[in-house]
Amino acid sequence: MQDPRLRLLSTVVLSLAAFASTTGAVAALVWWLLFTPRAKALPRPGVLLSLIAMIAAAAFLSAWGGGPGLSYLIRMTVVLLLAAWTYAETEDGEVLAVAVWALGNRVGFEVGLIAEMGLTSLAVIRQEIDQMRVAMALKGIRPGARSIVPLAVTLIVTQIRRSDEIARLLVVRGYTIGGRICPQFRTDSRDIPASLTAVIAGLLSCLPLRDVFILVG
Amino acid sequence: MRVDIKDLLFSRGSFTLRGSGTFDAGVHLVSGPVGSGKSTLALLLAELLRPGSGAVRRHGVSSALLLLQFPEHHITCPTVAQEAGSWGLAPEDVLARADLAGRADDDPFHLSRGELKRLTLACTVMRNPDLLMLDEPFSSLDCTAKRKACRMIEERDEGITIIFSHERAVLPRVDTLWEMEGGTLTACGSVPRAIPRWRHAPPYLRYALEEGARPENIRLQDAREAVCRTHG
Repeated sequence: MQDPRLRLLSTVVLSLAAFASTTGAVAALVWWLLFTPRAKALPRPGVLLSLIAMIAAAAFLSAWGGGPGLSYLIRMTVVLLLAAWTYAETEDGEVLAVAVWALGNRVGFEVGLIAEMGLTSLAVIRQEIDQMRVAMALKGIRPGARSIVPLAVTLIVTQIRRSDEIARLLVVRGYTIGGRICPQFRTDSRDIPASLTAVIAGLLSCLPLRDVFILVG
Repeated sequence: MRVDIKDLLFSRGSFTLRGSGTFDAGVHLVSGPVGSGKSTLALLLAELLRPGSGAVRRHGVSSALLLLQFPEHHITCPTVAQEAGSWGLAPEDVLARADLAGRADDDPFHLSRGELKRLTLACTVMRNPDLLMLDEPFSSLDCTAKRKACRMIEERDEGITIIFSHERAVLPRVDTLWEMEGGTLTACGSVPRAIPRWRHAPPYLRYALEEGARPENIRLQDAREAVCRTHG
């Protein structure tokens, strides 16, 4: 999907639908299968499986406590697939452009800048984890539960330091609030049908269909 | 003892790394600008990355170690002493060598990047592996610490030491020069014959060569001595 506005709209609508109900999750999954490059937009198998494992663990705990564990697993996995697709498709500056287009040069720029920095951090975190795994391998530390704590500590400290450096850099460059950009968007011929389908699927999954059919009947 | 790389090819996105050559026992300097592929080559030589084609073959190398460019990535323990211990070394010896005596109980993240670099460099050198690869060992160090790092490297009298660096001010005595540019590894040859061919030579070496001097190695003192010999 070329147009980042429609991509983000579709993602938000479908994520809300998927999170709200299992029906919404199924509708979002069908949309994901039809309108995205599917497997090509997924992260590396190790990353994807780790994330799904975390969701599964939460789902298991929920089911164990009498909650809707299976439904949670399905809904959150679909949200994860949508997030992975959006992340893979989003290019540098697109979120800032959409935020400025939607909310203007002051609030929009602030929101967009924060979102851009967050997205950039994800890529940095991925590289840092790779480096730390290399460092652990050099010391003969095998990946496992015992290596999670040092890895997490290093990651948190390096990210806090990086945030501090970025904040100082913004101050040094005279940044106070807001900014001015002229966002431009390209729309592909498939963008509008895809986003319309997403909105319809989202709305339908939120409607109490059973009540509608009873009324019609 | 040697490491052969044969028709090495590694691609990631638009970046492609190519190289062939042999790293014999001694100190090798792989120089090149930032982003030229030095760190990628280090990971390939450390067998932490798999090449698309070609091969890295080690002969007579029983142990290998890589010092990563950013020392924070090496940290796995909550104190400096434990961090030194995690390399399988006696903390007192490491701290003395890294000029960090008295910091044993500090959190490694409370050290400056330069101090952390000294700590990790001391750890890797003191482990004394057959193949030691140092990725930007002089970054974040002041001139005094750089000179001390150079001495540490020069004191290694056996094994293969490969330094990947864009440093152009304080350098150790080396045996072989290599250049990395645009992802292509080129062997300049053995020192001192390779020095005139070395395109990334630091300004003091260039000056010495322009003055007609023939430095025996790549250190500032080598250039200075050569110029003195030439001008009497």
